[in-house]
Amino acid sequence: MGILERNSRNIDNRCWNPGIKAFPVKNVYTAGVAGQRFFEELKENGKIYGSKCEKCGLTYVPARIYCEKCFDHLLEKDWVDVGIEGTIYSYTLVCKTKSGGPKEKPSIMAAIRIADGLLIHRLGDCREEELEIGRPVKAEFKPKQDRTGSIEDIMHFKPL
Amino acid sequence: MMRKVAIVGAGMTSFVRRALETPKELSYQATKVTLDSCGLTLDDVDCIAHGTAPDAFDGLHQNGEYMVDGCGGWNKPTMRVYVGGGTGIHAVVHGWHHVASGLFDTCLVVCEEKMSSALPHAQAFFLTIFDSITERPLEPNLLWIFALEMNRYMERYGYTKEDMALVAVKNKQNGLKHPASQFSEKVTVEDVVNSEMMAYPVSRLDVSPVSDGAAAVLLASERVARRLTDKPVWIEGVGWSLDTAYWATRDLYYPRYTDTAARMAYDMAGIREPDKEIHVAEPYDPFDYKALHHLEGLQLSPRGKTVELLRDGHFDIDGNLPMCPSGGLLGVGNPIAAAGTMKVCELFWQLRGEAGQRQVPGNPRRGVAQSWGDLMQVSSVVVVGN
Repeated sequence: MGILERNSRNIDNRCWNPGIKAFPVKNVYTAGVAGQRFFEELKENGKIYGSKCEKCGLTYVPARIYCEKCFDHLLEKDWVDVGIEGTIYSYTLVCKTKSGGPKEKPSIMAAIRIADGLLIHRLGDCREEELEIGRPVKAEFKPKQDRTGSIEDIMHFKPL
Repeated sequence: MMRKVAIVGAGMTSFVRRALETPKELSYQATKVTLDSCGLTLDDVDCIAHGTAPDAFDGLHQNGEYMVDGCGGWNKPTMRVYVGGGTGIHAVVHGWHHVASGLFDTCLVVCEEKMSSALPHAQAFFLTIFDSITERPLEPNLLWIFALEMNRYMERYGYTKEDMALVAVKNKQNGLKHPASQFSEKVTVEDVVNSEMMAYPVSRLDVSPVSDGAAAVLLASERVARRLTDKPVWIEGVGWSLDTAYWATRDLYYPRYTDTAARMAYDMAGIREPDKEIHVAEPYDPFDYKALHHLEGLQLSPRGKTVELLRDGHFDIDGNLPMCPSGGLLGVGNPIAAAGTMKVCELFWQLRGEAGQRQVPGNPRRGVAQSWGDLMQVSSVVVVGN
């Protein structure tokens, strides 16, 4: 059967290469209703905000405008400053670039538990022996003039 | 009133790293061998349920429409489903609806993936599945996102990398006997643990490869199935569930989406004690830890006891509950959508006693296959029996 023979002929594969042309379209994203405020707080005040669903007793971080469990609308009154500290919920050392090549120095990425939320971010200023699930960490912000209203206004989280 | 639905034919292409065939040609080959396997032609097919996972691999938006003729869909009612890695079994569930509803007597389910045309690496395309504002600036890919999950799972139960590697060794060993497998070499625990680090704790051999391939099954109503074969394999239960794509409420160590989907399928199949009533399992295993994670979600192993059972040989081909006799994604290959359907093909062959060297002893009569995908949030489950 032809199908099982194909392995050996892979070397004959031809490839169509359109050349390097810029993809002619792009996307512009809005931060969203909750995101607008969340990122303004990061940028202007260096604060991390969550939103609390009173009914479910859950504080979402980053803040959002609805509770996904009970579908309640989370309002202005539900916004809470959750502080800039959390704990390492899980971590990884990324050894490959996004093209699959080797990285000069591994970057440390983590899921950081803040209130009931998980924020994905980098760990920085961190020794390998400090990498430990459950360890408290604190957000380190860029200087105010360099912040743009992005998740990267937080440079990284640093072990305490 | 739902009608009974049987699988009456199955087929697949070889899984390879870089196929000459186009996505349509791969689909054609899997579809053709499936039709041949039960002696049917396209005229006998009432409708098509097909699947490919991310459009991005082929760089073709609305890939389903493009694929349609390769799947035998010319001028037929055709629908595509699309839930990332979950697609391969989700498409079978989707095809089941077509026949169970009474609308059609036969449905061809075809899933295909060609990952090799994505450069520099298919993995980079996953950047676009993450939240564009909160996550994408950090350049996430699935390797390190799942590394976070693997690390949490290992930490929760005190498992080591050696424990996880046992799954890769076992599945790859099974896969050596699969004629469509992409691999030809046996690996040891040391090989896995010492393979190149991708994103701690994930090493290269903890992960399934990038693959091209297609797989298909033919579904039929009871009336048609009884005329076609004396060995129909019945779809006894289906289930699916999506967890949130938002990280906030996830624990990472227990796949509750699999739990929900499995319970739905077991209820439909009248299964009360899955660990006793299931004879062969094909949980989704793109990473070695994931097979264990999913066995727990599928209620086939108590949480935190799975490595113990694995070490005892419980999940070996001749164990109490053979797991991934096909070799799974780790042992056969992982053309994403096709890999899930391959698992259903495997159960079809296992339950009919046609699995050759991979045959699970003792005439297995009931099997479960599960696939998983999207933002580590979806599970699709099919329970089959004869």
